[in-house]
Amino acid sequence: MKPTMNSALSWKIIANCSTTKARVGKLTLPHGPVDTPVFMPVGTQGTLKGLTPKQLEELNCQIMLNNTYHLGLRPGQELIEELGGSHEFQNWNRNLLTDSGGFQMVSLLKLARITEEGVEFQSPHDGSTMLLTPEHSMSLQNSIGADIIMQLDDVVSSLTTGPRVEEAMYRSIRWLDRCINSHRKPDTQNLFAIIQGGLNIDLRKKCIEEMVKRDTPGYAIGGLSGGEEKDTFWRIVTFSTDLLPKSKPIYCMGVGYAEDLVVCSALGVDMYDCVFPTRTARFGNALTSKGPLNLKSTKFAQDFEPIEKDCNCLTCKKYTRAYIHMHATRETVGCHLITLHNVSYQLRLMNSIRQAILKDEFPTFVQLFFKELFGGKDNYPTWAVNALKSVNIELLP
Amino acid sequence: MSLRFNLLKTSEKSLRLGKLISIKNEQKIILDTPNCLAYTGRGCVPHLTPDNLHNIPLVEAVNVTLEHFIDVQPPPSTQFPDGIHKFLNFEEYLVFIDVRDSGNLKPVSNNTDKYVSVYTCHGVRQVMSDSYIEYMNIYKPDVFASLADKITDEVPSLKRIKKSVDRTLKWLDDALNNVKVGIHVFGVLTGHNNREERIRSAQETAKRNVSGFVLNGNFLGNTSRERINVLKSSLDNLPSNKPRLTYGLGAPEDILLGVSEGIDLFDTHYAVKMTDAGHAFTFSLDVKNDLDSSKNQKTINLWNTNFCDDTQPLLVGCQCYSCQNHTRAYIHHLLNTHEMLASVLLMSHNLFHYTIFFKNIRESISQGTFFSKAEQFFKIYGDGFKQEKQEKEMIDSSTIILKN
Repeated sequence: MKPTMNSALSWKIIANCSTTKARVGKLTLPHGPVDTPVFMPVGTQGTLKGLTPKQLEELNCQIMLNNTYHLGLRPGQELIEELGGSHEFQNWNRNLLTDSGGFQMVSLLKLARITEEGVEFQSPHDGSTMLLTPEHSMSLQNSIGADIIMQLDDVVSSLTTGPRVEEAMYRSIRWLDRCINSHRKPDTQNLFAIIQGGLNIDLRKKCIEEMVKRDTPGYAIGGLSGGEEKDTFWRIVTFSTDLLPKSKPIYCMGVGYAEDLVVCSALGVDMYDCVFPTRTARFGNALTSKGPLNLKSTKFAQDFEPIEKDCNCLTCKKYTRAYIHMHATRETVGCHLITLHNVSYQLRLMNSIRQAILKDEFPTFVQLFFKELFGGKDNYPTWAVNALKSVNIELLP
Repeated sequence: MSLRFNLLKTSEKSLRLGKLISIKNEQKIILDTPNCLAYTGRGCVPHLTPDNLHNIPLVEAVNVTLEHFIDVQPPPSTQFPDGIHKFLNFEEYLVFIDVRDSGNLKPVSNNTDKYVSVYTCHGVRQVMSDSYIEYMNIYKPDVFASLADKITDEVPSLKRIKKSVDRTLKWLDDALNNVKVGIHVFGVLTGHNNREERIRSAQETAKRNVSGFVLNGNFLGNTSRERINVLKSSLDNLPSNKPRLTYGLGAPEDILLGVSEGIDLFDTHYAVKMTDAGHAFTFSLDVKNDLDSSKNQKTINLWNTNFCDDTQPLLVGCQCYSCQNHTRAYIHHLLNTHEMLASVLLMSHNLFHYTIFFKNIRESISQGTFFSKAEQFFKIYGDGFKQEKQEKEMIDSSTIILKN
């Protein structure tokens, strides 16, 4: 018998776009509501890059990510469980999502080896061989206690082809079953399946068919954002949202550029995460509706405008670009101010997407958004034009 | 803009209680003294965004260092039309500007009759007296320190010391003659370790129309007692009705000694230094002798792995944002993982705690209990001499690297 799951969430679609596949939903998780489509900022080590939980709440952030691999190393499973889980540890009373830890093993560790049992890797501490199994990942994520937890999947680079992709897809299904069977807290933590199958439509279809039978509380589209052609990326995304049940939230992992968020929302995706907005902030880049500004550049030394005039974040209300230029990449405060703005930008963008869908004005919103971000039609990325055309939005009429 | 200093109370042994009041437009900022000016780096309190700084209600004044942002002259911020308060988002604070970094006075090239050499992020630059006054007239701080020829030599000659006193007085006259109405000037006292020259500098400065005095305690001895003994020859020659600001006295015992010698204003570089070393303040003016001597610590080191599962706040009973919201275990984890929030939370606590320490000092002066409390403080926390040395070693060996 294939195992199936309890759910600790409720999911309600509030509005559907009448042109595209975009939708607005209300996801209710153990630590409160989440309005979708949602961007989830990444607080890898149990902290969002210099911001306090209070600052994040004031930005109306409803859910953020923690990374299982990092918290498993420090403070470690035993300690985080003893300290009451990650919410209590970092004093974050809203929702959390943790990944399985598998992606970091593969991306950070050169010597990872994948077997049917799990991911074998060398401990970064003492070099000894360690094994992350689906059971171990569940146990770690149960100790961390996030509201949404992810299955351990067999991640292959999206550029890989051949039998390895198929093997990884089938193994991910088998590992999903092991995750479901070893999940200790299905009443308080929602396990999401991760669709694999590389860039192969048939494999994706097979994976979706099998995973949907397990009826997990939500589904993620995995194995993308790994350097594949954008034109291939969106086709896999839209293929997946077509086949996945409309009654479950869909999470596209590792997506965070503004144009990607808008396009994927049009294709019917509900959830996103990416380190980009917070990482780029630390290099002095501020996100705006007209594209990023590199505030390290001396051209901002005497620019006494805020980063964005219409932005109501603390940074834009109180400081000029010239002030931030003085601090960018030099003082931690410069970094905090840009991080605050960038998170604010991402959450505002998602709110605009939701409002447009609610008013059923999403296609107009998308056209204006592209016009502002890219300046002119000559600069529109072809993949985005194609993707939006597939859901009846003409960017180049 | 007006600046006034009201001395409310003086007692035997130089103890002073006062109010420094700055009024501009409708706004009135009152700084009860003894008190501290928050140290800033490039015009921000290190690690604290303005909302986090606001959570520390007793911070009323900031010390802005010109050398942090004078790599280009004139600094681009002089083009900003609305003054330094607004540019730095310090509209609710008393802004004091000095040329050189109060906490980190790096020796640079020589000064001359024409300029002071300063150390910027892009190397050494020269600040001339007239351009300095021009910048101040544009920035419009509440107060600035006159340009000073500070001596950073190990053993300066008498000739060098005399020259330093003469130049500093000359530059003070430049400032007083050219500053716009409403901007106030503190005269900087020099004289290094030479008693006669210190007296001359103090007496000559006191003759002029300054609003207060700046005494630099850096480079004047290895211990706070030595430094204060040198500063005393200046302090004894100052009128009582003007405030005295001192750099280089930061540890709590330094402050107690300084207050007892009649110093009104200190800066918070020490709190920044301890934050960057991963320490949280736990000292108290109302300390009771605890049988458990481990509780009689002036600071705790959050790098210590003993804190990895400690769910107490940094200091039990503290009302700061960090202590109200976070545990020692979490802050230990943040240090361990080189996360910037560690510095945010430690700075929030340390600055909050520092301002409370000053509040307690003022209350004890007002109640006549300052000396008995200070005595108890020294008795319980031990001799300042040894601890100073230990702290220095501690800080040298555990500097936090803020990674991306």
